[in-house]
Amino acid sequence: MSSGDYRLPDALFGYQLPDAMHEPESQPQGPAPGDQRQRMRSLRELGTFALPAVRSPLQTLTIVGQIEGHMVLPSQNKTTKYEHIIPQLVALEQHPQVHGVLIILNTVGGDVEAGLAIAEMIASLSKPTVSLVLGGGHSIGVPIAVAAQYSFIAETASMTIHPIRLNGLVIGVPQTFEYLEKMQDRVVKFVVKHSRIGEARFRDLMFRTGELARDIGTVLIGKEAVECGLIDEVGGIGAATAKLKQMAEAYKQKREAPVQ
Amino acid sequence: MIIWTPMQLELVLAGGEKETRPEREVVVNEVPAVIRETGFGEGEIVRLLSTDAFDYLRPELAPGTRVVLHGDET
Repeated sequence: MSSGDYRLPDALFGYQLPDAMHEPESQPQGPAPGDQRQRMRSLRELGTFALPAVRSPLQTLTIVGQIEGHMVLPSQNKTTKYEHIIPQLVALEQHPQVHGVLIILNTVGGDVEAGLAIAEMIASLSKPTVSLVLGGGHSIGVPIAVAAQYSFIAETASMTIHPIRLNGLVIGVPQTFEYLEKMQDRVVKFVVKHSRIGEARFRDLMFRTGELARDIGTVLIGKEAVECGLIDEVGGIGAATAKLKQMAEAYKQKREAPVQ
Repeated sequence: MIIWTPMQLELVLAGGEKETRPEREVVVNEVPAVIRETGFGEGEIVRLLSTDAFDYLRPELAPGTRVVLHGDET
């Protein structure tokens, strides 16, 4: 039996722990040579990635363009796919050397289900998370931005809050409206739960008329998002990294503290 | 599926019927990446899928870099 046969069971879990994960943090690390084939096998057969060997305890997730969900969008769209983000979040949650996650957002929204799934996963990570909205965090980008434990927005970045509209086949029955209302409630409840904004205020921003040319709703720019309680602070990459480092340090100390 | 975006839906869904070269997810130098096939057995890096920001500083992984595909990536 070749050594390749022994490796097979690892692939069942969809990823393989690099050997370096069990070593002290100070040592340089990297998976043993020859793992490549095994990693590709897990990628090919299960659609997940090998758990990467980390060099920094602070890892970064970038969520850009359209958030792509159940349907593959035409290729001229820049998309962030949930099948990429979700396994990465699972890996970050499990990796013992990861002490914090920085989420960089520059998104125009996208699939509601996929966006909420990512937001729920970020919110339920047990590790410190900081989000930074650069450029834009529109529509479904809003719940993702507030999902982190602490959120930043760049001074010139904007967030569009507007109602969910139906696309695709619309049947003119009351159930259609009720379904849409339910989808919207899921988003509103998530945002209210994970930020300082109240439900009435958020709905007010969402249904405001006279601000957007083609829609109802509001565009919040930089400090406006902080003033209404949606985002915690105006800042850039320096402020976000400093905050995450501080949170990661506290997390590390708490984790290493002996159980009393 | 509901797409919630301030972009016009016509723009989001435009070009769906256009044929483009296939993109594939492979591992390049231990880093998961999306590549676009440019010919038989070769491609170029479109973007990385790593969460380690330092991977993005590696010049051999810059977008547009040509990669040769071995049999075991497929």
